[in-house]
Amino acid sequence: RSELTNLIKTIRNAMKIRDMSKCLEEFEQLCRAFLKSKTIVDKEGMPPFYIRLLSDLEDYLNQLWEDKEGKKKMNKNNAKALSTLRQKIRKYNRDYETEIASYKEVRLFAMTTQDGRFLVICCCCFLANNTYQVFGNIFVTFLSQSPGDCGNRMHESFNGRHTSEKKKEDRKKRHKRKERVEEEAEEEAQEEDEGEWEKVKGGVPLVKVGNQMFAKGTEINTTVVVKKLNEILQARGKKGTDRAAQIELLHALANISNENILGEGILVKIKFNIIASLYDYNPNLAAFMKADMWKKCLDCIDELLDILFNNNNIFIGENITEDSENLAIIDSQPFRVRGCILTLVERMDEEFTKIMQNTDPHSQEYVDNLKDEGRVCGIIDRLLGYLETKGSTEEVCRVYLRRIMHTYYKFDYKAHRRALGLQGETKSEQDAEESEGEDSAFIMDRLCKFIYAKDRTDRIRTCAILCHIYHHALHSRWYQARDLMLMSHLQDNIQHADPPVQILYNRTMVQLGICAFRQGMIKDAHNALLDIQSSGRAKELLGQGLLMRNMQERNAEQEKIEKRRQVPFHMHINLELLECVYLVSAMLLEIPYMAAHEFDARRRMISKQFHHQLRVGERQPLLGPPESMREHVVAASKSMKMGDWRTCHSFIINEKMNSKVWDLFPETQCVREMLVRKIQEESLRTYLFTYSSVYDSISMETLKEMFELELPMVHSIISKMIINEELMASLDQPTQTVVMHRTEPTSLQNMALQLAEKLGGLVENNERVFDLKQGVYGGYFNRAFRLDQMAPQKYFDVNLTISSSHDR
Amino acid sequence: MATRKETPSTPTAPMASTSPGATLDSPVKQIQIEGLVVLKMIKHYQEEGQGSEVVQGVLLGLVVEDRLEITNCFPFPQHTEDDADFDEVQYQMEMMRSLRHVNIDHLHVGWYQSTYYGSFVSRALLDSQFSYQHAIEESVVLIYDPIKTARGSLSLKAYRLTPKLMEICKEKDFSAEGLKKALIGFEHMFEEVPIVIKNSHLINVLMWELEEKCTVADKHELLNLSSSNHLEKSLQLLMDRVDDMSQDIVKYNTYSRNLSKQQQQKHQYIQRRQQENAQRQTRGETPLPEEDVSKMFKPPQPPPRMDTLLIAGQINNYCQNVKEFTSQNLGKLFMAEALQGHNS
Repeated sequence: RSELTNLIKTIRNAMKIRDMSKCLEEFEQLCRAFLKSKTIVDKEGMPPFYIRLLSDLEDYLNQLWEDKEGKKKMNKNNAKALSTLRQKIRKYNRDYETEIASYKEVRLFAMTTQDGRFLVICCCCFLANNTYQVFGNIFVTFLSQSPGDCGNRMHESFNGRHTSEKKKEDRKKRHKRKERVEEEAEEEAQEEDEGEWEKVKGGVPLVKVGNQMFAKGTEINTTVVVKKLNEILQARGKKGTDRAAQIELLHALANISNENILGEGILVKIKFNIIASLYDYNPNLAAFMKADMWKKCLDCIDELLDILFNNNNIFIGENITEDSENLAIIDSQPFRVRGCILTLVERMDEEFTKIMQNTDPHSQEYVDNLKDEGRVCGIIDRLLGYLETKGSTEEVCRVYLRRIMHTYYKFDYKAHRRALGLQGETKSEQDAEESEGEDSAFIMDRLCKFIYAKDRTDRIRTCAILCHIYHHALHSRWYQARDLMLMSHLQDNIQHADPPVQILYNRTMVQLGICAFRQGMIKDAHNALLDIQSSGRAKELLGQGLLMRNMQERNAEQEKIEKRRQVPFHMHINLELLECVYLVSAMLLEIPYMAAHEFDARRRMISKQFHHQLRVGERQPLLGPPESMREHVVAASKSMKMGDWRTCHSFIINEKMNSKVWDLFPETQCVREMLVRKIQEESLRTYLFTYSSVYDSISMETLKEMFELELPMVHSIISKMIINEELMASLDQPTQTVVMHRTEPTSLQNMALQLAEKLGGLVENNERVFDLKQGVYGGYFNRAFRLDQMAPQKYFDVNLTISSSHDR
Repeated sequence: MATRKETPSTPTAPMASTSPGATLDSPVKQIQIEGLVVLKMIKHYQEEGQGSEVVQGVLLGLVVEDRLEITNCFPFPQHTEDDADFDEVQYQMEMMRSLRHVNIDHLHVGWYQSTYYGSFVSRALLDSQFSYQHAIEESVVLIYDPIKTARGSLSLKAYRLTPKLMEICKEKDFSAEGLKKALIGFEHMFEEVPIVIKNSHLINVLMWELEEKCTVADKHELLNLSSSNHLEKSLQLLMDRVDDMSQDIVKYNTYSRNLSKQQQQKHQYIQRRQQENAQRQTRGETPLPEEDVSKMFKPPQPPPRMDTLLIAGQINNYCQNVKEFTSQNLGKLFMAEALQGHNS
């Protein structure tokens, strides 16, 4: 084949310099070579360049022959060669008469039209490629490009050619693309309609379908398109199917159906399939969509929704079978299309989550990806609007949940500001506010209530409740959140839920705890956070990262599953904030408790973790100024233990802690004020517990000054302590003093009491040994005084010391 | 400070505790200590010991008839992490050789140790005293209580293991049965040996002279009335021990319960086997072979009782201390009351 092209080149060169003998020689060679490649030619059809050469050569020779003067100038050899060549080519060309004729015809017609260059290109390319199939398409493009008059003429001639060529079509098969690339003209042509050419790429069986989307001339109607669509879809999921190509094909199909105005029904169906195959693109469940795929997907869904919104007469649903679909345009009959837009959108949402999970949260990329959330939300909103009118309640519930899932974790700053009574200062901001519509709280309320009322699957309702609580808690509506949590009884049966719901539950509990803390409900905050924090696996429980564990406990498969459960970074709850809130509330509870029960032998710990932190703090050989959040809390606890609220305050609230923790709250100032107040109160309590034994009486005025609390507050705290029998004292109203009763035992007495208790235990244990030996239970009191001699003696000693220290 | 150190070594106040339980068959019945040794021990503690850390050293001396004369001592060097390869034995030998060169008694007759609120009855002490006494029969351990001493009265006690305990330690049989057979209780573990502090006449003369020269030494420690601090510490330690004791008892309890349960099972098994065999015999079959029952029922590991014994000894010790202290204090309080009444 390359031999042929080479020969043709030399012939053309010879023609240019009028070297007839050379021309003759080459021509003979060419003929031989052509014969040799006869088999290929038979199979693949007439090489177009060959035909062109033959035609050109004949024309050229005829021209020379008529040019008498030129002939005279030629030397003998050349003249002789010319005549022989002329005869030969006449004879030879007779075999290819039809081809040459058609070529000439095209050329002729091309010259006659004004838009010459363009048409030459086009005709050449037709001939060269024998791709009659694309005829129609190119024709269309030309039609649009060339000015009307000329276009019409072209149309006529093309129609003529169309028929003539159709006959040959059977014989002539298509060609590989690379062979067609030969002339500049062709390349140009290629550029013109690249879209169509593309499809021939690759060698998969599918391509055949793609190349000639439809057999030439077939009337493109609904049934044909559907058939084609099914054909394409059959390749889906098969091994070796080029998924990208498949997507392209579907797009092309969509275009075709669009061009042929086949109606929205078919378009919707194709769109459905495009989106489905976009999702299919990644065979691996863990892999996430590439950015361009994702964009395409979003666009597609948007378009689909556009169509659905613009055409009221399209019914879609999963339950519509393939057979009962109605895609064709029939008057007064609505389209019926199988497919579920809700599933697609849900899938899209999941893909979005997956993308967020797989992006490095500290990169710009993450921010860029996050910007798409607006679009995702927009799509969900539109779908919501669509389904509200068309969908079943079940579907509405599902889409509502999606909407909720995108709303619940976001803090509504606008509503917050509105609640504070601060209108947007500038005009534009106000406008923005108004256009924003209702508060997220109202939206949540509306959506959730609908789900509570209508949902029949437990899972959606559970999720909705949790999200609702989370949203309440996030916006400091503590009582609503708490009541909802208690009413739902979720705490009882959450362990039966699936892990993602459990993660959501954990998140909600944490948010609830933080909300309680903001509201100053220290005890509630502590209780809510206790479970999460005491496990030491807060990170894992909240789905915000995996803990390092050895592979025995978790194989690769499990790890993958766990990774898929992770919450995207933008929804994370700040773990340090969480821990700080927990520790501070533990401190506020534990320190007074410790002070009150200093000598209690059976004192239990309120918070193990807090004690652990304290111990860690004690183990430090050298105590520098606190650096981390934990160190701050430990240092604060220590000063609180001494009743020194000022130092405690300075440790809890300072620049470092502000930037680390407190500034993360929306109402920073309120929280800080609450915290200071709590610290003052609890310090006062601690102080009274610790030092009451030193005082005979203490004036409330003094306490008020010491802890900078109002007098009624001091009064109420002390009264409460007296009522709870935590403080053995009475209030002297006229002098405003607290008079201590001094009935609490001294530390030595406490110790002696403890010892006595322990000895009791010891004796009891001893008694059991004795029982075992004797084989009699309860034989302790009947036996000789042998075993208990030791203990009472010691007890006596202790009593002695107590009395002695009392004498002092 | 000098005056305080002087106090115990003055011949007027030779603190010698009388020992109630000295047995006759012991080779040592009395211990005579040079004032120098006492001072050296005290100095050693002052310099190196602090808080609950203990200091230890070697006693040197001679046995004269049934009296052990301790004439000199030297401290063990304090251990630090960076000289882990320090050879203690080598050091002791070197030290004794050097002392011999200057004509000092170089015979190893025991060791001394400081204590923290009388908490010295421990496994470590038992083990090392055992090895001492095993190698050198007359060895004693001197226990110096710096806290009591600081309260005004020198507290120095000499202990030896009783021959009974020596035997048990030799056999290393610390099971309940072994201890029961040896008839040993916590009271019979250590025997206290009476101590006499003796100085040479020359030193006595020097002391007399010094006493005249020096101004009035303040001896207020003896009359200190505050008691709660000391008592609290003692009680704390006592409580810890009691906790340990409780744990041990619980352990023993579970052990004996397990044992009896197993015994029952064993018994049942044997009975069943016997019944079966009897049945077989009536039917004229060969009886089943007797299997090794002990292999089937491995008795549970009995908990070692030695620790319990030691804890009991320690508790006893604490109780003695507390008792002693409180009675002294009570006396002091009455005295103070009388004084106050007299003054007013």
